[in-house]
Amino acid sequence: MQEHFSQEIENLKTNLIQMASLVDEQAEKAIKALETGDIELCKGIKSKDVDVDIFDNKIQSQCENILALFQPVTIDLRFVIAVMMINTQLERCGDISVNIARRVKKTAGAREIIKESQIIQMANSAKEMLKLSIDCFIHSSIDTANSILIKDAEVDSLNKQIFKFLVQKMKTDANLVEDCAHLIVLARNIERLADHATNIAENIIFYLEANIVAHKMKFQKRNIDEDF
Amino acid sequence: MEIKIAVKNLNAFYGKNKVLKNVSIDIPQNKVLAIIGPSGCGKSTFLRCLNRMHEVVGGTVQGSIMLDGEDITRKDPVLVRRRLGMIFQKPNPFPTMSIFDNVAAGLKYNGKTDKKETAEIVEKSLKQAALWDEVKDSLEQSGINLSGGQQQRLCIARTLAIQPEVILMDEPASALDPISTTKIEDLIFELKKNYTIVIVTHNMQQASRVSDFTAFLYMGELIEYDATKKIFTSPELKQTEDYVRGRFG
Repeated sequence: MQEHFSQEIENLKTNLIQMASLVDEQAEKAIKALETGDIELCKGIKSKDVDVDIFDNKIQSQCENILALFQPVTIDLRFVIAVMMINTQLERCGDISVNIARRVKKTAGAREIIKESQIIQMANSAKEMLKLSIDCFIHSSIDTANSILIKDAEVDSLNKQIFKFLVQKMKTDANLVEDCAHLIVLARNIERLADHATNIAENIIFYLEANIVAHKMKFQKRNIDEDF
Repeated sequence: MEIKIAVKNLNAFYGKNKVLKNVSIDIPQNKVLAIIGPSGCGKSTFLRCLNRMHEVVGGTVQGSIMLDGEDITRKDPVLVRRRLGMIFQKPNPFPTMSIFDNVAAGLKYNGKTDKKETAEIVEKSLKQAALWDEVKDSLEQSGINLSGGQQQRLCIARTLAIQPEVILMDEPASALDPISTTKIEDLIFELKKNYTIVIVTHNMQQASRVSDFTAFLYMGELIEYDATKKIFTSPELKQTEDYVRGRFG
C-alpha cells in the first residue's frame, strides 16, 4: 500500500512538473516577444494553453483520488494541498502568458515606450521568479522559496513606477493613450505573474515547513492574531 | 483546561516484562484522548491500568494515576471501575439477558432496586447511547439479537447507566461496519460533553476524527502527546510523523 501511495505521489509530482514546464515555456516566449518585439514568438502560446488546462484537470482529479483513497496526513497531506494550490497558480500563469502575448502584439508599434518604461526589466524579474518557483518545487528548496518572496516586492515597486511613467506619457501626448493603456494592462499582467510565482513559493513553504506565510506581513501590520 | 486524570511515571509489568515505561499524561476533562501506536506498544495495557483491569490479568503497576486528585492505584478497584467505565473491542452484551436487563445490570449490582428509577435510567442511558429509538419497542428481547453496531451501543448504554465520569474505549468500532462506526463516532462526540473519554484505536482516521488529543506510544514509551490537530498535521517528532503516515508499524 505504501509503495502504491508513493507511486501516486510521484506521478502527481511528475505531472505538476510537466505542467510547470509548459507554463514556463509560455511565459518565456511571451516575455521574449516583449523584449525583442518579435511577435512571431507569440504564435502557439494560446494553443499551448489547452495543454496546460488538460494538466490542470488531470492534477485536480489525481489530488481528489489521493485524498479519497489514501487519506494522507502530515507532510503527505501538505504536499497534496500544495500541489492543488500550485496547480491553480500555474494555470493562471498560463492564462496570463496568453494575455501578455496578446498585449505584445497590440503594442508592437510602441517599442520606444516599452524600452523607456522598465516593463522589460519587470517582465524578466517576473519570469525569473516563475522559473525559481518551479525550481524550488522540483528541489524542495526552502531558501529559493524565501528568495522569491523578497523579489516580489521589487516587482511591485517597478509596477508602480511603470504606471506613473505611462500615465505621464499619456498626459503629455494624447496619441500615446492607446499604447500606454495597453502597456498598463500588460504591466499589470506581469505583476500578476510575479504574484502567482510568489504564491507558489508560499505553497512550497507550507508544504515543507507546515508554515502558512501568505498575508503574514499584512497581518503583522494590522496586529491580527494568527492563532486560527 | 481542567485535568481529569493525571498519570505520572506509570510503569506496568507482566511478570518481569515491563510493558509501559514511565508514561506521564494529563488527560483533560470532557475531552477525547486517542491512544495510538503499533500492536504491542502498550495501548490497551495503558487503558486497563486506568481502571485497575491490568491487575485482573495478573499485571502489576508502579507510579500514580490521579483521578480528580485521588490516586486510584490505592483505591478499591470496584469503586474505581464505577467511575471509569470500559467498552471493549467486541460487543459483549450479557447473552441471557434482555436489552433492558443488560442496561440495568450494573445498577442492580450496585444495589439500585427501585423499578421506576431503574426504568428511567435505562431509558436515559439508551437515549444517550443513541439506541433508544431502535429498541424502545423490544426492550424485553435478548441483547444478542441486535446487530453488532447496536450491541456495541447497548454496551455503551450499560456503561453509562452506572454514571461513570470517564469512559475507556478499547477499539470500540474495529469490529463494526462503516455505518455503525459512524454512529459510534458521533456518539463519542456527543458523550464528551458529559464525560472524559480515552479511546484506543488502530484506525488513524478514526483517531483524527474523534479525538481532541492524541498520544503516540511505541514499545511501552510515550513518544509524543499533543493536540490531535498537531499530531496529524505537523508532529514534533519524525517517529510520530512516520507512524501516522503509515511508514512503519
